[in-house]
Amino acid sequence: MTMNTMQTEIETPAGEPVIRVRRFFKAPPELVYKACTEADYIRRWMGPRRLEVSECEVDVRVGGTWRLVHRAPDGAEFVFYGELLELDPPRRRVGTFVWEGAPEDKAVETMELEAVEGGTLLKTTTVHSSVAARDMHVANGMEGGIVESYERLDELVAAEQAA
Amino acid sequence: MSSVVLSEEQLDRAFGALADPTRRAILARLAEGDAGVLEVASPFSMSQPAVTKHLRVLEDAGLISRHRLARQRMCHLEPQRLGQLSDWVGSYREYWEESFERLDDVLEEMQQAAEAPTGPTSKNTDLKKGEGT
Repeated sequence: MTMNTMQTEIETPAGEPVIRVRRFFKAPPELVYKACTEADYIRRWMGPRRLEVSECEVDVRVGGTWRLVHRAPDGAEFVFYGELLELDPPRRRVGTFVWEGAPEDKAVETMELEAVEGGTLLKTTTVHSSVAARDMHVANGMEGGIVESYERLDELVAAEQAA
Repeated sequence: MSSVVLSEEQLDRAFGALADPTRRAILARLAEGDAGVLEVASPFSMSQPAVTKHLRVLEDAGLISRHRLARQRMCHLEPQRLGQLSDWVGSYREYWEESFERLDDVLEEMQQAAEAPTGPTSKNTDLKKGEGT
């Protein structure tokens, strides 16, 4: 599979508590690693624009912790945190990932960067505590159960667009 | 994607309106086409005033509009508001796609800063070191 486009690939294999994300970036692995690891850079890109990064701290060392807070336009805050377990710049980084809304699901995220022609292929593999926890995480779209009717909403929009 | 940012009050109203199964069913019905109050009310075992009350909540939330057609008050789904909410709620894919687009911009700036001969020398030093900690 070629990854020369800037498309984001997301895989959620059935029966495995895993999410795999792949994306090509037009920059060398050193820069991608830095932008994905250091708080000053992360706060500039993490999340959709409507979700402000109101807090971002990363203690970049093995055993160091990180914390990121998203603030929605209605003032709701979504807190994520974890610990860095392995740092091997610019190739690999492993850390834990917890959403404060579901702290029992401590996920382990491995980021791998591969130098490819013209840039870097970023691959993250996140292993959740169970398939159900993984599914919940994906369904909540990182924003945690804001609306139970979210799926319904999509159906409605799809129905309207098809009409 | 709608770029309109809804106010806190608009979001509260819209999500409040969507939190009720009857109102969601009404929206699903209106997704099929405009309908009068009686037609909207027909699947539910509730009085017309009760249905009218739900319709008012949906209208205040910007999710539907009402207009007169002959003697009937017709209800019309306002898909734009649903689209705005859907955008706002987002999804896992949207979250990452939009994040990565922003990361593209950050990386481009980092590269320009690294290449620019007039750029701060400290940035170049950083890059040569590889990963600062």
